[in-house]
Amino acid sequence: MNATTSLTDRYVWAAGRSVPEAQRDELERELRERIGDATDALVDEGQAPADAEHAALTALGDPAALAADYIGRPLQLIGPRYFLVWWRLLKFLLALVLPIAVAGITLGQLLSGVEVGEVIGSAVSGALSVGVHLCFWTTLVFAILERVPAAPGQRGIDLEWKPEMLPQIADDGRTNRLVDLVSSLVLLGIFGVLLVVQQFGLPWVDALSSMPLLDPALWSFWLPYFLVLIVLEAAFAIAVYVRGWTWGLAGINLVLGAAWVVPGLWLWATGQLFNPAALEAIGWPWGEAGAVIAPIVVVVVIAAAAWDVVDGFIKAGRSQQRITAV
Amino acid sequence: MNLDETTAGHLQELRRGTVVLACLVRLRTPDYGYALLESLNSLGILVDANTLYPLLRRLEKQGLLTSEWNTDEARPRKFYRTSPTGELLADTLMTDWRRIDDALAGLTDGDES
Repeated sequence: MNATTSLTDRYVWAAGRSVPEAQRDELERELRERIGDATDALVDEGQAPADAEHAALTALGDPAALAADYIGRPLQLIGPRYFLVWWRLLKFLLALVLPIAVAGITLGQLLSGVEVGEVIGSAVSGALSVGVHLCFWTTLVFAILERVPAAPGQRGIDLEWKPEMLPQIADDGRTNRLVDLVSSLVLLGIFGVLLVVQQFGLPWVDALSSMPLLDPALWSFWLPYFLVLIVLEAAFAIAVYVRGWTWGLAGINLVLGAAWVVPGLWLWATGQLFNPAALEAIGWPWGEAGAVIAPIVVVVVIAAAAWDVVDGFIKAGRSQQRITAV
Repeated sequence: MNLDETTAGHLQELRRGTVVLACLVRLRTPDYGYALLESLNSLGILVDANTLYPLLRRLEKQGLLTSEWNTDEARPRKFYRTSPTGELLADTLMTDWRRIDDALAGLTDGDES
């Protein structure tokens, strides 16, 4: 076997191994015919056999791409058939799962008495790792779907698009509001459950596994007060979803925000918020850290509450504009 | 994208269907890939080998062509022939081609008047 035949052999082998075995023999024979005929034509034009073969193979291009073209296999990870479904699902999952994961990680770390810097570090690396997993597994599923042949006449798992699926133009704030509603209700639910559960200890924090985190004395008034506030917030979130932001609702948002922040900070500042035994168990104040963390918490809480109130008024302003524009 | 690329892209789109039609008509007499490529190009139906060979395969898979290996010569060659279904499609395509030609002619005349 001389060097010239081996180039064709190598090409045919490279193309053949990337197709299923059932189609391999036929493809290899066809390729040999095509390469042979193309080479002969170039030799007839006066090229040396080795150059002719080289030129013929160059014209064929990458054997894997050629084989994919011959057997009609997709050369893209996710094609147009699934791209939109994949993209919508990925955005939805990232928006839903990432915040929950970050909140969970942060809370868990804070409660187990980790330093602030380390908490931020874990939250960032946790968010990255959860995000990468979400992207990877979602994409993998769709890449496999792309390669599974759909039944004849079917587009695959994708729903057939109908005009009824078109979004409502006039009420375009509603989709965003639905996202707001779902995230509010989920967060409020988690918060409410945590308020009750903490009374029996936090099993995932060693030091607090059977000890209330918040001062049990608060059950006489303040904890029920906050639970009622959670119910009110949920009702408020539904009202915003149904009616859109109005100046009135933005005002109520201000009152609700104050109803959280003022008593919460006051209880904390006067040392009534946390269970003294729990603070002792987690070793508070953590050396020098206490003096740093306290102002940070106050600033963050007030800033978050203030932003929430301002955000409410901005949204109210926008939706009023939209109404006058329509 | 410059103008030449745009032109080339549109020409390719315009010719795509005509290559199918030309193959179906030409392969009423059986022939193999390279001979078909040569004869189409010499007739002025310009087609690239990278388009033609996968196209022949696809048409065969759709039942529009049948194929048979000819091993009489040193190099085995796959001979394609238009199937009865392929004949029917060729008639349909040819009718439509003529209709489009008439329509475009009418459009151009209308432009001039």
